[in-house]
Amino acid sequence: MALFRTAEIIKASKLPPEGVKLSRMIDAVYFIPIAYLGVFATFHMHFDLLAGDWDFWIDWKDRQFWVTVTPIVEVMYPGAIMYYFWTFYRQPFGATLSITGLLVGKWITIVFAWYWWANFPMNFVMPATMVSSALILDCTLLLTRSWMLTAIFGVWAFAMMFYPTQYAIFGYSKQPMVVDGQLLSLADYMGFTYVRTGTPEYIRIIEVGSLRTFGGHTVWISAFFSAFVSMLVFTIWWQIGHFVGQSFFWVKGRRGVMSRKNDTMIVGTDEFAMRHGTPDGIAPGHRVAAKTASATIS
Amino acid sequence: MNVKNIFKLCVIGSLGMATLGLTLVFNASPVAAHGERSQEPFLRMRTAQWYDTRWNPTKTAVNEEAMLSGKIHIAEDWPRAVVKPTRTFINVGSPSSVFTRLSSKVNGTPMFTSAGLELGGDYEYVIKLRGRLPGHHHIHPMLAVNGAGPIAGPGSWMDITGNYKDFMNPAKLLVGGTIDTETAGLANGLFWHALWGGLGFAWIGWFAIRPMFLIRARVLAQEGGDALLTDPIDRVVAFGMLGLCFVLIAIGFYSADAKYPYTVPLQAGEPKIKATHLRSDLTMKVLNADYDVPGRALRMTLQVTNSGEEPLSIGEFTTAGIRFLNKVGVANNMDPTYPAEIMAVDGLHMEDESPINPGETREVKLDSRDSLWEVQRLMDLVNDPEQRFGGLVMSWDEAGNRHINSIAAAIIPVFTRANAG
Repeated sequence: MALFRTAEIIKASKLPPEGVKLSRMIDAVYFIPIAYLGVFATFHMHFDLLAGDWDFWIDWKDRQFWVTVTPIVEVMYPGAIMYYFWTFYRQPFGATLSITGLLVGKWITIVFAWYWWANFPMNFVMPATMVSSALILDCTLLLTRSWMLTAIFGVWAFAMMFYPTQYAIFGYSKQPMVVDGQLLSLADYMGFTYVRTGTPEYIRIIEVGSLRTFGGHTVWISAFFSAFVSMLVFTIWWQIGHFVGQSFFWVKGRRGVMSRKNDTMIVGTDEFAMRHGTPDGIAPGHRVAAKTASATIS
Repeated sequence: MNVKNIFKLCVIGSLGMATLGLTLVFNASPVAAHGERSQEPFLRMRTAQWYDTRWNPTKTAVNEEAMLSGKIHIAEDWPRAVVKPTRTFINVGSPSSVFTRLSSKVNGTPMFTSAGLELGGDYEYVIKLRGRLPGHHHIHPMLAVNGAGPIAGPGSWMDITGNYKDFMNPAKLLVGGTIDTETAGLANGLFWHALWGGLGFAWIGWFAIRPMFLIRARVLAQEGGDALLTDPIDRVVAFGMLGLCFVLIAIGFYSADAKYPYTVPLQAGEPKIKATHLRSDLTMKVLNADYDVPGRALRMTLQVTNSGEEPLSIGEFTTAGIRFLNKVGVANNMDPTYPAEIMAVDGLHMEDESPINPGETREVKLDSRDSLWEVQRLMDLVNDPEQRFGGLVMSWDEAGNRHINSIAAAIIPVFTRANAG
């Protein structure tokens, strides 16, 4: 018994063998150079503009803003990208693709800009990773097959799992030390010791706000708040994906009138030829039976 | 392709070639300073008055310590166009972190976080540094003011010799043990990034090994296609991946929690720094001042009263980190390590250079004249939104005791020789 349903799916696609081969080439060309690079380049820029400093510097990774802002910003692109891949292809890797793409961009920046060019040590500028959260989000969509349930449960977990995931990476930086009689965390000291001429200390937006009730469990209050906002943001970006991901095309009819067609799958079919003619001008219907066309389109 | 399109492509190609060619002609040279001269004169002359700046030593090796120290007077006549210094940070202007900063004290108070400074206050700063990146570096003290930006102090060259690979920055932890800030947590962070990244790519790869787009889109468009595309094995893998994620997150969190039982949040406090104030037996009032644009001179008439018990001689006028001295200033306050390019050792002139005696009130015509006004781009004063200047006038008694007065006043530009007086 085959592991996958691939053979059935290919058969149902009614593509000839050369069409299947061509589709795999399209997969490769479309996925790596276009979809992946496009996502990582634009998402990276988008993220750095909205949440960059919290992610760039170890002394910005606080219990309030870092925990709140990062998931909210990181769930935006996945919302739109998940819509696109799920709605048109039933592919459940939109979030993982977005977040790994973001991290590819980030690591390129860290190695070449921060480490090689600006000479900061890599641990000082190490980013957070939300791949774990993205995998949870994608798995939730695949298992529930509902974007609403994904928004409620998946996005909630997406934001709530942010801090525990990062703690494994950055926990060491919260160790206390004393310098000149002042108590600092190691992260504070690293922010102080590595001179940033254009980034004075007061630029830090950390530990300022009112999310401080419940006995000082600031992190979890911030994470809850972030989760709720992330849910809202995810639905908005899912709809943005719907808005910009509409597939339609304009076709010139026999009388020369342009009309919008939403069913992109019809292109190249006999029904399309019957309705709109063919590029070589052969009148449709004369060579293709209507029965065949309807079977193709169903 | 028609002729028009070919022509367009030719034009675009030519522009591209021309751009590439220009990069060879106008090769960018390395930056040798931090653009301090580009800051507007009123910003430099009427905010932070830097004096007694020291770069000690100017030559150091990787891992060796150096000191950047000096004093700042926060001008009473702080410009309206600049946000008041209610939240500031003493910083180091350097090309990246060529030094690590070990300690920073302002009037003896550690300044790890930002603090407010008082208008008219005087502050002594001491910044302890450790050589990190070998090279010839231009280093400034810098006062960053929230809302106004960085105000660069005087800059000087510091050399660091040795090899960066030898650099270590040990930090002693409160709970015991010492770690190197250059490498702390790096291997662990790379491990988790690699692990999660690997899982992420594996997840994508799981779907990428099968037809991804066109075939699935065609099937999805058919009746029953949606159900067909839901491969049962994918659901099993998704359940497994979900469980794996939660387990790995829990392992990472609890292992870090066990490894670091004592932690503190980021510290976001505000040190309270007590200001000191300039002391002088002289009182000074600027009666008038003009700026001689062609002569590159700031000329002022001061009404000076000596209320002390010792005769005092004016020896230095300093503003924007640039020093104008006469013989008295050179004799009493000449620091041979101070960068010559921002010091005019014969730049201060007076009609009557005799000391101002106790009880005497005198009109003093003080003329600071040097090409530094132009070189340091302070002649752009005429383009400022508020035509005022500020600075510190230093005087000495016979015993070498220094008296400092902060002055500020409106200034009138003199544009031509004809009315240059």
